[in-house]
Amino acid sequence: MSRDPKAAREWFVRLWADLKASTDASLLVILRFVGLLYGPLDTRLPIGKAFRKALRHRLSPEAGWRQAFGGIAYLLFIILVVTGVLLSFYYRPSTQEAYQSIQHIVSGVSFGWLMRDLHVWAANLVVLGALLHMARVFFGAAYKPPRETNWIVGVLLLFSVFAFGATGYLLPWDQWSYWTVTEGLDILARTPLVGGWLVRILRADPIVSGATLSRFFAIHVIVLPWLVLGLLALHFALVRKHGVAPRVSANRTGRTGVPFFPYHFLRMVITGTLVVAVALTAALLFPRPVAAPANPAQPPGMLFSTWILADVSRALIYYLGGWGFGAFLLLGAGMVLLPIFDRSPERRLRRRPIVAALGVLFFLTFATAWGAGWRLRSIPTTTSGELTPFQKQPTGATPGAPLPSIAPASRPATSGSDTTNSGGAP
Amino acid sequence: MLTALLTATFVAAPAAGRPAAARPAGRTAPTLPAQVPGATADTANGCLACHAAQRRAATEGIHAEHGVTCVSCHGGDPAAVTLPRGHSGHFVGTPDKAATAELCGSCHSDPDRMREYGLPTGQLAQFRSSKHGQLLFGQHNNDVPTCTDCHGTHIIYPPYDARSRVYPTNIPGTCASCHSDPKLMAKYHIRTDQFAQFRNSAHGVALFQDQNFAAPTCVGCHGAHSELPPTVTEIASVCGRCHVLVEQEFAKGPHGAAARAGKLPGCLACHSNHGTERVPADSISATCDRCHGSDSQVHQFAVDIQHRVVQATADIQSAERAIDQMAAAGERVGYYRFRYKSGLTYFREIAQKQHRLNLDTLDDLARRVRSVSIDLDSRAKGTQESRWEHKLLLLPVWFLSLSAVVLALLALRGLRKRDRDSDSSET
Repeated sequence: MSRDPKAAREWFVRLWADLKASTDASLLVILRFVGLLYGPLDTRLPIGKAFRKALRHRLSPEAGWRQAFGGIAYLLFIILVVTGVLLSFYYRPSTQEAYQSIQHIVSGVSFGWLMRDLHVWAANLVVLGALLHMARVFFGAAYKPPRETNWIVGVLLLFSVFAFGATGYLLPWDQWSYWTVTEGLDILARTPLVGGWLVRILRADPIVSGATLSRFFAIHVIVLPWLVLGLLALHFALVRKHGVAPRVSANRTGRTGVPFFPYHFLRMVITGTLVVAVALTAALLFPRPVAAPANPAQPPGMLFSTWILADVSRALIYYLGGWGFGAFLLLGAGMVLLPIFDRSPERRLRRRPIVAALGVLFFLTFATAWGAGWRLRSIPTTTSGELTPFQKQPTGATPGAPLPSIAPASRPATSGSDTTNSGGAP
Repeated sequence: MLTALLTATFVAAPAAGRPAAARPAGRTAPTLPAQVPGATADTANGCLACHAAQRRAATEGIHAEHGVTCVSCHGGDPAAVTLPRGHSGHFVGTPDKAATAELCGSCHSDPDRMREYGLPTGQLAQFRSSKHGQLLFGQHNNDVPTCTDCHGTHIIYPPYDARSRVYPTNIPGTCASCHSDPKLMAKYHIRTDQFAQFRNSAHGVALFQDQNFAAPTCVGCHGAHSELPPTVTEIASVCGRCHVLVEQEFAKGPHGAAARAGKLPGCLACHSNHGTERVPADSISATCDRCHGSDSQVHQFAVDIQHRVVQATADIQSAERAIDQMAAAGERVGYYRFRYKSGLTYFREIAQKQHRLNLDTLDDLARRVRSVSIDLDSRAKGTQESRWEHKLLLLPVWFLSLSAVVLALLALRGLRKRDRDSDSSET
C-alpha cells in the first residue's frame, strides 16, 4: 500500500465516500462498513434497497406492546441456540465424559458457568414466554380464521419446546437427570398404544444408558433445532402473510400504521434488553447446582425435577391428585384443539364466556401450580455417600475451633503408657 | 449302646436309601393298611404310607438331598407292608431329648462321615459342655432344647437357607422362643428382655435392617452349641474377637487393667450387653460420671475427652459439608475427597484410641481432623466467594440494560412528538 500512495489515497477517498453515503440510513452505517465488501455487489443485487424496504415496512396500527411475548420467546430461543452452541464446544455426550465435561464447563471454562445457567434459565423462561404469547393469542381470538393454521404451528412449536426440555434434562448425566428421565420414560411407557415402542425408540436399551444419552443428545442438538427452525419459518411467514390480528375492541381502519424502523424496532430493543437482563439476573442469582454423578444402581433419596413443567405437574398431582392432573391435561388438550371448532367470527371476549372461562382456568392453574411446585422442590446435592460415624450433630462445637490445652488436673493420672503395666496390680 | 445300634442301622441304610430319593413316587404298591394318596410305597420310603404327614421330609431339606431317609434315624423296615414288621428290628420310634442329641451325634460326631460335607464334628461335645447340655444330660431337664428344637425335626434346612431357624436373621427369634417366655425363664431367674434389647442395639440394627451378617447374633457371643454367657473377665476378649483394634487399645488403658482384675464388666460397663449402644459424642462425660461421679477427679478428664470427640465430630461433618458445597458448585472434588478420607481415618482412630484413655493421643488425632476440616472449609469458602463475585456482574448488566431502555424510551417519545408536530402542522 505504501509503495503506491496514489492508490492508497484513492482507497481512502472511496471509503470516506461510502461512509458519507451511508450516514443517511442511520442503522445502515454498520452494514456500510461491511458494504465495502458488498458495495460492488449492491449495484447488481440491490440488497441495501431491499433492506431499507424491509425496515420501512409499515406494520398494522394494531401492532404494539401486546405482540411482545412472541418476540420474547423467539429471543429466548436465540439465547438458547447461542449458549447451547457454546456449551456444545465443551460438552461430551458419553456416559464416561458427560458429567466431567459439565464440571469442566462450570468450574474450568471462562464464563462456562454463565452459559450453563443462562441456558437453564432461558429454557425455563421460554416456556413462560411461549405460554404468555399463547394466552395473548387465545384471549385476543387471534387464532380465528384465517390464522388457525398458525395456531396449530404454534402448538407444535410449544411441544417442540417441551421435547427440548425433556431431552436436555438428561445431558448433564447426574443423579438428578438420570432418575428424572428414567421415571419420565417409565410414565411415557404407560401411554396406551404408542407408549411401548416410543420408549423403546427413545431409550434404546432396557435402562437409561449411554445409548439413551446419544439419542437424547442427537434429538436435542440436531433433530429439534432443525424442526423448530422450520416451524418458526412457517410461523413467521404466516404472520407476515396475514398480518397482525386486528384489535378486538375498535376498528380504526383510517390509520396507516407506523414503519417497522424505528418505531417497532425501539420497542424490540426495550423488551429484548429487559428479557436478556432478567435471564442474566436469574442465572446469576440462582445458579443450578451440580448434583452427584449418575448412578444407575442407586436412586437418590429425593427426586424432584426442576423444570417448569415438572414443577407444574408435581404441584397438580400433589394438591389435586391424579384425576386433577388428568383434568388439567384434558383442559390443555381442549385449548389446543379449540381453534378447529371455534370458527365463528365473534372475537369479543365478553361474547365468548365459555372460551374465556376455559382460558382463564388453564392459565391461572398453570401459574398457581408453577408457584406451588416451586415451593415443593428440594435438591439432592449431597455427593459423598459416606455416612459420618456420628449421625447426630453434637451440640456446643464450632467446626474448626481451636482445641484448648489439656487441663493439668487430668494429665498426670491418665497418661496411657504409665497405666499399661500397672494393670495387673490389684 | 444305642449309638452303636443306630450307627449300624445308618451304615446299612444308604445302599437302599440313596437311590430312593430320586425315585418317582407311586410305584408298585403292595396291599397296605391305609392307602394315602401321594405316599410312596417303596423299599426306602414305605414308612410314608402310614406317616403321610411327614411325606415332605422325603424330598425337602438337607437330609433328603443327601439320601438320609426315615430309617436312617428311626430304624425299622421301610419295605414292610404290615405294622409289626415295619416297626421291627432296630426301631427307635420317637427318641427323647437326650437320645435325640445322641442320635444326631451318631453321624455328626463322626469325622469320617462329615468329611464329605466339610462339616465340623464337635457339636455334641460342645453341647454337652453348654448350660443346655449340662441340664439335659446332668439333670434330665426337658425344658432345654435339643438339636431338633433349633434345627428342625424332619425337614432340616442348612443354616444358609433362609427357611432355617438358625439362619442369621432367624437365630435371635429362635432363641427368644424360649428366652422371651417369662413363665419358663422365671424358673431359672433369667431375664426375658434380651431380644427386645438386641433388636434395637447396634448389632440388631446391622443384622435386621442392613442385613449385615457380619454382625453377631446371640450365638456370636454365647456360642452356637456351647452356649454360655461369657464371664466378667472374658467380656473384653469376646467383643475383641470382632472389635480387634478397640480391644487392643482398651487393654492398654486403665480400664483394661480393671477388667482383667474382674473389677469392671469390660465393654458392658459403657455399652451394655444385649442392647449394645454407641455412646453419643456429647454424653461421654455423663457416661463416665455414671461410675465415677461428677465430683470425682476423673470428671475433668472425661470432659476433656468429650470436648475433643465432639469437636472432631463437628470438624469432620463440616469437612463433609464443604465437599458437598464444592461439588454442587461444579468443582472437581476428587482430591478433596481424598483429603477428607484421611481426616475420616483420623476421626475413626479417635473412636478406637479413646478406649485407651490417653488424652495426648486423642488431642493429636483431634488436631489432625481439625487441620483437614480447616483446609477443606477454606477451600469451600474460596469457591463460595468466587461464586459471590459472579453476582457482581448484575451491576453492569442492569446499568447497561436500564440505560439502553431509557435511551430507547426517550427516542420513542421524541419520534411520537415529531409525528404529532407534523400531524398538527399538516392540519
